[in-house]
Amino acid sequence: MRFLFVDRITASEPRNFVEGIKHITWDDLYLCPDDKGNYYFAPSFVGESLGQLAAWNVMQAYGFKLRPVAGVVASAKLHRHAYVGDTLRLKSTIEHLDESAVQYSSQAYIGDTLAFEVNGALGPMLPMYQFINEDEVRQQFHEIYRPTDAPLAIKHPLTGLSSITAVSPVHLQFDAVLDGVPGQSMHAVKLVSRMAPYFPDHFPLKPVLPMTVLLECQLNLAKQFMAHFEGGHDFQVTELRRIKMSDFIQPGDVVDCYLSLKSKTETHAVLTFRCEMAGKRVCVMELELQKTF
Amino acid sequence: MNVETVFPKVRAIVADVLVCDEEEVTLNKRLIADLGAESIDFLDLVFQLEKEFSIKIPRGQLEKNARGELSEDEFEKGGVLTDEGMASLKRYLSEVPPELFKPNMKVNEIPMLFTVETFCKLVSAA
Repeated sequence: MRFLFVDRITASEPRNFVEGIKHITWDDLYLCPDDKGNYYFAPSFVGESLGQLAAWNVMQAYGFKLRPVAGVVASAKLHRHAYVGDTLRLKSTIEHLDESAVQYSSQAYIGDTLAFEVNGALGPMLPMYQFINEDEVRQQFHEIYRPTDAPLAIKHPLTGLSSITAVSPVHLQFDAVLDGVPGQSMHAVKLVSRMAPYFPDHFPLKPVLPMTVLLECQLNLAKQFMAHFEGGHDFQVTELRRIKMSDFIQPGDVVDCYLSLKSKTETHAVLTFRCEMAGKRVCVMELELQKTF
Repeated sequence: MNVETVFPKVRAIVADVLVCDEEEVTLNKRLIADLGAESIDFLDLVFQLEKEFSIKIPRGQLEKNARGELSEDEFEKGGVLTDEGMASLKRYLSEVPPELFKPNMKVNEIPMLFTVETFCKLVSAA
């Protein structure tokens, strides 16, 4: 089960920009049902796809000796979901790169519609050998680096197809809720198991929880939290912001997540998340939701 | 620019980066020991200071400033500060109370001493 999302790199200028695609298909593992039973790609992993795209560019720039890891994201905005049958056109612009860090911004389009954007992303650069064999990652790159100008998406589909078999999504959730005050706060916990399907690719020599997996768990916790409010199911995620990952989370770790309601009106809500391991901060995030009518 | 003039913006940025109240961010607070900063926070802080003040802060600038005129060999041996290195460090970090400079201090322990004022000085000098 892979955790590599870029299907093809269609253009790349090291240290400058990179473009690629990701098809959303029934072969994808991380699909979520909407309230009509249609399946879309987990939003945080659209962000992951963009981050991986940027990573390919900077790894290429440094001859696969260095790789970026998740650090800070000022803002990640979801404009629309990517459903099965859609193709994400991915673009990452490298704003700054040196041996210590990369700063980039990214956009994902479906057709001409902006689906997801990442701004103010900052990732520390670390030695590749700590995470994956250099030859292996170079091979992965050459498998997907196939420049082209050709359009690679389905044009004007009549309709999507429903799944003809049961879809078994990976459960991107915390494992238990320990405490909380309805409408004010929640304390949930995630037990990190080596069994998780994303660890073999992330990374072969140093399995660490992808930041976007933790973000997706938090999005699902937010849905559970908002269900307390009348009409809470009508709130949709619009922006994840002030995201920061401070440390690696590894198999065997226990992650405590503290969700708090920062503000709420009839149409908007802002939640804050703080994840800790043994009392030490590992991840923070602010989440904005808006009511859809 | 000097420490006093840049402090309000530096304080706001430090508070934002470390997710704490601005009132907690005073000039003499140490970023790691008093405000709980992690290594990613230093990276975030430098990038935000560069953006806010339209300056460039080369990576490792604080350590380079602490070394002053000394060569690397004169500053540290085997990762431990020499006597001259310690004297140079104390001169640069003049805002840090003398009792916090431990004997046989390692180079990788230097960031533990950095205060909000240290970063105000860094911005002012850029």
